[in-house]
Amino acid sequence: MTDVAPSLPTLRVIIVADGALAAALTDELGAGADDPIGGSAHLTGIVEVVQVEHAEEAVELVSATTAEVPLVVLSGRPGGVDHTIDTLDRAPSLRRASTLLVTDRAVHDDAARAIDGDRLDGVIAIPWTAGALRLHARSQIARWLRAHLPDDPRTGSLIDDTERPLELPDSEMLRDLEREPAAVTERLLAAIERVLGPRPRLHLPPGIRLTHQGEGVNGVLVVLRGSVALDRSTRVGDLRLHHGSTGPVVGLLSLAQQRRAFFTARTTTDVEVVHLSLEQLDRALRSEPEVGAAMAAVSIRALAQRLRRSEQLQVEKIELNRELDAERERLADALHQLEQARLELVEQARFATLGELAAGIAHELNNPVAALDRAASYITEDLERLVTSHPQGPALAQALTTARDRPPSSTAEEREQRRVLEAAVGDRELARRLLAAAVTDPDDARRLATGPAGEIALLEAAAGIGTAIRNLEVGAARISGLVASLRSYARPDGDPVEDVDVHQGIEDTLRLTAHRLAGARITRDYDEVPRIRCHPGQLGQVWTNLLVNAAEALDGEGHIRVLTDAPDPEHVRVRISDDGPGMPPDVLKRAFEPRFTTKQGTVRYGLGLGLAIARRVVEQHDGRLSLEADASGTTATVILPVAGPADDTTSRPQPPSPGG
Amino acid sequence: MQLAVLILEDERPVREALARDLGHFGGHVRIEVAEDVPDAWAVIDELDRDGDRLALVLADHRLPGTSGVDFLVLLLDDPRTVHTRKVLVTGQADQQDTIRAVNDAGLDRYIPKPWNPDELRSVVRDQLTDHVIEHRLDPLPHLQALDAARVMPLLRTRGDR
Repeated sequence: MTDVAPSLPTLRVIIVADGALAAALTDELGAGADDPIGGSAHLTGIVEVVQVEHAEEAVELVSATTAEVPLVVLSGRPGGVDHTIDTLDRAPSLRRASTLLVTDRAVHDDAARAIDGDRLDGVIAIPWTAGALRLHARSQIARWLRAHLPDDPRTGSLIDDTERPLELPDSEMLRDLEREPAAVTERLLAAIERVLGPRPRLHLPPGIRLTHQGEGVNGVLVVLRGSVALDRSTRVGDLRLHHGSTGPVVGLLSLAQQRRAFFTARTTTDVEVVHLSLEQLDRALRSEPEVGAAMAAVSIRALAQRLRRSEQLQVEKIELNRELDAERERLADALHQLEQARLELVEQARFATLGELAAGIAHELNNPVAALDRAASYITEDLERLVTSHPQGPALAQALTTARDRPPSSTAEEREQRRVLEAAVGDRELARRLLAAAVTDPDDARRLATGPAGEIALLEAAAGIGTAIRNLEVGAARISGLVASLRSYARPDGDPVEDVDVHQGIEDTLRLTAHRLAGARITRDYDEVPRIRCHPGQLGQVWTNLLVNAAEALDGEGHIRVLTDAPDPEHVRVRISDDGPGMPPDVLKRAFEPRFTTKQGTVRYGLGLGLAIARRVVEQHDGRLSLEADASGTTATVILPVAGPADDTTSRPQPPSPGG
Repeated sequence: MQLAVLILEDERPVREALARDLGHFGGHVRIEVAEDVPDAWAVIDELDRDGDRLALVLADHRLPGTSGVDFLVLLLDDPRTVHTRKVLVTGQADQQDTIRAVNDAGLDRYIPKPWNPDELRSVVRDQLTDHVIEHRLDPLPHLQALDAARVMPLLRTRGDR
């Protein structure tokens, strides 16, 4: 080992075997200590041969040194191949090594993992031809060195008995396959010219067709310089199928297809080609074996290149298809969302129109309501003056005031009062009239019943006026309330409004949707909740949709509960539940999707659209809307932040900041 | 025996206005009011005790927890009210409610709100007259509340007996 430069690592072949095989292997690969790898003087000093009985020993051996192990030769006998290799693989230097299996067994079923893990580089049967194993080992070492220590000068010393370097294959074709493509082309042309004499070079500009798709091919062109592309005309137009993957011999593959060109080959740069007719090619092949080998190498290489290209295209096609599918899904999704957005827009437009209408009506109602309200108080004032001039003024004024201010009583109570009076005066109709005249005291009733005729009628009239005035005032107040509700309900959207009473909004909605809630009993369970910042008009739409949905679930009869509370100081919660039939889970799951059917040209909206809009409004308020349903009914829960929606910065372009 | 008219209306001003508009019938017909369905049945019980006859119901359609039409349907199941004439006085009844009222409750008339008092009185008079004729009641005690021309033949035939 004196001739090995100190910087080069020791190379060591390890034999894992015992008994006679161990001796035979050691004998074949390296005899004595003074001739470490035996047989050939060319290998002396390059590789050490070490024999161990078990894989464990090999692992121990290498872990103690920095020696590189290019090759492990192992016996197929003890322990099983996979097991032995698993053990060897514990040492990194052994995992990197090439592995030769030497075996006397006819069948191995213990090497599956080794094959799968690419850990078996050769299988040699016992007995082997003397020297063959050694040659095999040396080739493996040479290839290992080229792969792992490419700059190691010892590679070149590994030669066979004919002094051929072992790192290259022996056969012409395998050697050509390992050569540079241009070098092979040159060798091909050189071999051809040895037979045919010098061939004239043809110089062609770009765009020249060398073969024509579908036409006969009567020769080949060897491309020495420049690029050629292969085009094929198809149903969808001319396709360029190969450019980088075009081989140096154009037309060769057409020979395998009844001499019809599959492609149109076209020059894409200035090219230099040599033309060979079929006859010339035939003669060259017949006379010079190297032409065949070079031609085979060129063809295999071109085919391999095209195959790779085609496989690459296949992969790309699959990838594109996947992408296309994903794209298609995205499109379907987008379409669905667009449809949803459109439906929401239609609904919102309808709501906006209704809102404008409501606002208009509210405005128009204000004047007549004001007039009604004022008229009621003028009548009261004027009547007071009129009545005082009447002889029975005080009694009439009393009857009027009593009737006007009479607190509400139930119809049953009124009948009871009438019965008392009837008992006093003995006449039901008289009792009714006395009650209408705001008389409730039996003594008064008896006095009036025996008093002058007409007095009761007069009192009745006065009380009637009192009742009428009260009803005027109550009616006007109710209309005012409705107008106020309409105005706040239809408030145009703008910036969020501060300090909004959620209860007020719900009450306004209940009042305005009363006709659609007919039949439903409404229970309010209002807790004290903080006032919030919100878009009251939009929330009105939420309450409307949730209440109308609840009423529709009840189908005419049932109970709607409106429950409010504050789950924490930052939030207000509104729950609207009905005791209707609830929803099956699959319907519940899709309750927020807008569903609509077109029947005879009319678009009908399902319950989902209202919910979808409600949810969007709530989410725009940074709140949450959820829906629960079971057999006892459905509950919609809205949670709104007291702070209201974040300031709308997304839809309004920000002015560019100065400087920056 | 007195003929009775029952007004079923939950809103006090409306109830009072209906009762007042029918005040002309007072003394000839018993006018009763009820604010809800349970009280309406209380009135019916009371009429029964007094030996009076519920000839006509004027019911609102929108009532708390139920509908006027439902009440009118129920009247058909009670022997005391099965022959009662039924009129719906309402500002809101959709087509379906109205169809049901006519088909299932044997609705006789429909008066939209707001009503014209003369028309209201005329409907009540007609309905009472129909009731008297249909059941061949003695019209004489109720004549002031009836359509005299229409009950004349009845007077004569009853007189013949």
